[in-house]
Amino acid sequence: MKKQHDIAQEWFTRNNWQPHKFQQDTWDAITSGYSGLLNAPTGFGKTYAIWFGVLQAYFAKKKRPSGLHCLWLTPLRALSKEIYYSTQRVSDELGLDYDIALRTGDTSQKERVKQKKKMPHGMITTPESVHLLLAQKDYTQTFKNLEFVVVDEWHELLGTKRGVLIELALARLKALNPKLKVWGISATIGNIEEAKEILLGTEPGKNKLIRSNLEKKIQIETLLPDEIETYPWAGHLGIQLLDKILPVIHNSNTTLIFTNVRSQCEIWYQRLLDADPSLAGQIAIHHGSLGEEVRLWVENALHDGLLKAVVCTSSLDLGVDFRPVDTVIQIGSPKGVARFMQRAGRSGHQPGAISKIYFLPTHSLEIIEGSAMRYAIAHKQIEQRVPYIRSFDVLIQFMVTLAISDGFRPDELYEEVIKTHCFESISREEFNWCLAFITKGGKSLDNYDEFHKVVVVDGVYRVVSRRVAMRHRLNIGVIVSDSMLHVKYLGGKKIGMVEEWFLSRMSPGDVFWFAGLNLELVRIKDMTAFVRKSTKGKGIFPSWQGGRMSLSSQLTDAIRLKLDEYHKRKVKDIEQVKLVPLFERQEAVSCLPDVDELLIEKAKTQEGYHVFIYSFEGRNVHEGLSALLAYRIAQSKPMTFSLGFNDYGFELLSDQEIPIEEALQNGLFNTGHLLADIYASVNIVEMARRKFRDIATISGLVISNYPGKQTKTRHIQANSELFFKVFEDYEKDNLLLQEAYEEVMTFQMEQVRLMRALERMQKQKIIIKELQQLSPFCFPIFAERFREKLSNEPFEVRVRRLIEQERK
Amino acid sequence: MQVTLQGKPFTFLPEKALYNIQESILIIADLHLGKVNHFRKEGISMPLNAQQGDYLNLKHLLDKVRPAKVYFLGDLFHSDYNYDWHHFEALIGSYTDIEFTLIKGNHDFVDVEKFERLGLHIVKELLEDEYFIYSHQPVSFEHDKLNIAGHIHPGIALSGRANQSARIPCFYLYDGLLLLPAFGTLTGYCIMDRIQEAQVFAVLPGEVREI
Repeated sequence: MKKQHDIAQEWFTRNNWQPHKFQQDTWDAITSGYSGLLNAPTGFGKTYAIWFGVLQAYFAKKKRPSGLHCLWLTPLRALSKEIYYSTQRVSDELGLDYDIALRTGDTSQKERVKQKKKMPHGMITTPESVHLLLAQKDYTQTFKNLEFVVVDEWHELLGTKRGVLIELALARLKALNPKLKVWGISATIGNIEEAKEILLGTEPGKNKLIRSNLEKKIQIETLLPDEIETYPWAGHLGIQLLDKILPVIHNSNTTLIFTNVRSQCEIWYQRLLDADPSLAGQIAIHHGSLGEEVRLWVENALHDGLLKAVVCTSSLDLGVDFRPVDTVIQIGSPKGVARFMQRAGRSGHQPGAISKIYFLPTHSLEIIEGSAMRYAIAHKQIEQRVPYIRSFDVLIQFMVTLAISDGFRPDELYEEVIKTHCFESISREEFNWCLAFITKGGKSLDNYDEFHKVVVVDGVYRVVSRRVAMRHRLNIGVIVSDSMLHVKYLGGKKIGMVEEWFLSRMSPGDVFWFAGLNLELVRIKDMTAFVRKSTKGKGIFPSWQGGRMSLSSQLTDAIRLKLDEYHKRKVKDIEQVKLVPLFERQEAVSCLPDVDELLIEKAKTQEGYHVFIYSFEGRNVHEGLSALLAYRIAQSKPMTFSLGFNDYGFELLSDQEIPIEEALQNGLFNTGHLLADIYASVNIVEMARRKFRDIATISGLVISNYPGKQTKTRHIQANSELFFKVFEDYEKDNLLLQEAYEEVMTFQMEQVRLMRALERMQKQKIIIKELQQLSPFCFPIFAERFREKLSNEPFEVRVRRLIEQERK
Repeated sequence: MQVTLQGKPFTFLPEKALYNIQESILIIADLHLGKVNHFRKEGISMPLNAQQGDYLNLKHLLDKVRPAKVYFLGDLFHSDYNYDWHHFEALIGSYTDIEFTLIKGNHDFVDVEKFERLGLHIVKELLEDEYFIYSHQPVSFEHDKLNIAGHIHPGIALSGRANQSARIPCFYLYDGLLLLPAFGTLTGYCIMDRIQEAQVFAVLPGEVREI
């Protein structure tokens, strides 16, 4: 039965639009009291599919309560603004008595106070801001009449701890309003059903998944070198193909050039200007370290069609549509199908328009990814988003958040949080451990203990110290960044933020590139680097850490398939054709394995003895596999390895000969004892130590933002490594420590995928080749500078040998 | 490891301390006692027993060396008075035959009277004799003696073939200044530059080795 949708109808008619079926379905579902998830591509009106449902539910009431009626959460401030304009437009054009307000990190104090006095009907905000609202006294009043929570871009939030923030906030809000309806909006992902279940929790009420059958057409073109023979075998930059990009830019209206890391972004921007000075003033740079002002300027200029091209990073993956953009270029591997589609989707916004994306491989073997991507998209092989579970750091933060507002009772809170997907499996003992953590600082046996954070008053857990409350409020959220310095001109104008460790290596007078500018460091004072413009035209590029993504299994599957097609003489894609000389070279110096073969290459260089194994499972799994196999080999005799890996394979390097054949006979790829062996390999501790950095900050052990001056509080600053070491030595059962290990297993080792890889490798036919010269396959791994190490030699032995080597 | 500094015999101890043999002075820098409780007081959880190692290490070292005097080169206590004081009091109290001196550092806020009641000598900035200047932070004035100091927490990064590397604490001797490694376990390192003229003595389990 079709329902009447008067408000929507009126507005669509006014604008001469025809609603899509998925929009009508959504309106029906919302007005019938369903919760749910809407899966639709951008640019087809998904915002209005939800919004009119919300409006109609509100105006269908006989008595319309004042106060907050709908919370709309987005992952990005820019997106919040866009939603604000779209929804406000409806209220304005139809003269509806439905106020809408924005609340993000940018919202002024004055505006916040105004909002607190009189809440709008609709509030567009971020997950962090909702938690800040939950940290206010009498927040239950604020949310008293709340009927809807809409979570926009749920697929983006789902695989992150911000998703956990949302799950927890929803659990609390549902407890306040049992009739609360929750709607998510998501792009297509491999686990869309699960995405809905996670959003709605274990007691979802009646709910629906609505999928639009609309599809955006994507056209992929790989930019190929003229001669494959001279294109480099390794590299992450791809500058050699710069002259292939220039005509693309000139023949397009506006082009977005996506790079994977910020340093690459800065370098490409410079090189484009060097190569074609006529682009000056017509191209811009955009990445996450730039100041808000700079970014806004670029975004507005993009909107107004003032720019020919913007070199950017994932900072422009999401957010507002820039209508003038008609072309996208991806530099280097996009690492995943969903990401590539999302970036492609940033071009061609007119309904029915085709999204055009160019792929620029940064080394020769990477060319195959163009072909793999086209295959994966055609066959709808899209990645799943793996949700975080049992994130005790976020739970601890949430407990303190509630403790600084109205306080909480443990029994009630426990019942609430176990209704979330994230905390469904936590036991009451584990929950109690978290309580002890915030009241007694963990297990405490000492009577003289002076720990002070959350206290219990008449069964209610509260924070009474104003200092603790203030510090907590400043640190709500789960995005942890490196210690950053502001970069400013001497006159005080902000340019952006750079990691402290980068600038700490520089002295006044040194020159570097940032925000596309050539800058001279003048001095560093109070967490600010003062700079002036330089005319030297030389300088170093800041390198930002992190962002080393792993190729998804959808893409690695497709790559294996595309390599196999060469064997089966079924080469048809232009990428494959281009690669034929490279494949022939690989076959000449080594072997090009088919889908049933596993290639192992051995080589001896002046660096030592190398073993390369090509399992094509992405760098995360290779990082884990290399550590695992090194550990197993070292069982027969003490050895030290240096491990290298990329998305295609991995390398074991040692200063002693590696007995690989012997190890293979002893079941090197066995899946038995897998977990024990993984835990025994040293790297897991290193990985956990890195994961623990975020956990320590989120749970409040390491404090990144202080009220007032930063310098005065140095004495309570300790880095996460110290906490990690201390817990490792004195409190092995600490849940936060265990969480670090579990995150490593799920997200970094990708345990499930690693297991599958081993099973496959066991079945494959093993081919061992001794290399006289490096092969096209091994060279990119050989050239990787980022390495791990594994050793089962005692620390002293290892260090002593290092000292001997240094003395020579 | 035995060395000669300013013509006098010294030992670099692998326990991360320096011993002046002739005068029987044990020199220790940067213990940072009370750090755990200081953090806990601020609502930051650190296991209570995490500092035990420091007291045990200190006790073992005193028993092993049996010095006549001990110089603490500053940052003995991390910030103000807290319960750790009692552990420290108990430890110091059981070595009545040793003369303890604290050269104050930037983290030592415990009031002087409390130290003096324990029989500790308190020196504000530095202790100087014919050959040596003992201080917490390296001194800034010109001198022709050897300045023995803490504060920096020196460490060294080693690297070798097959991309091996390790970071370990060290003694660092350069240009009239000898930096001592931090004694406390709840401390980190500052990785020092490997300049040609500097002598680096790496602290390994059970021994000190020059690099």
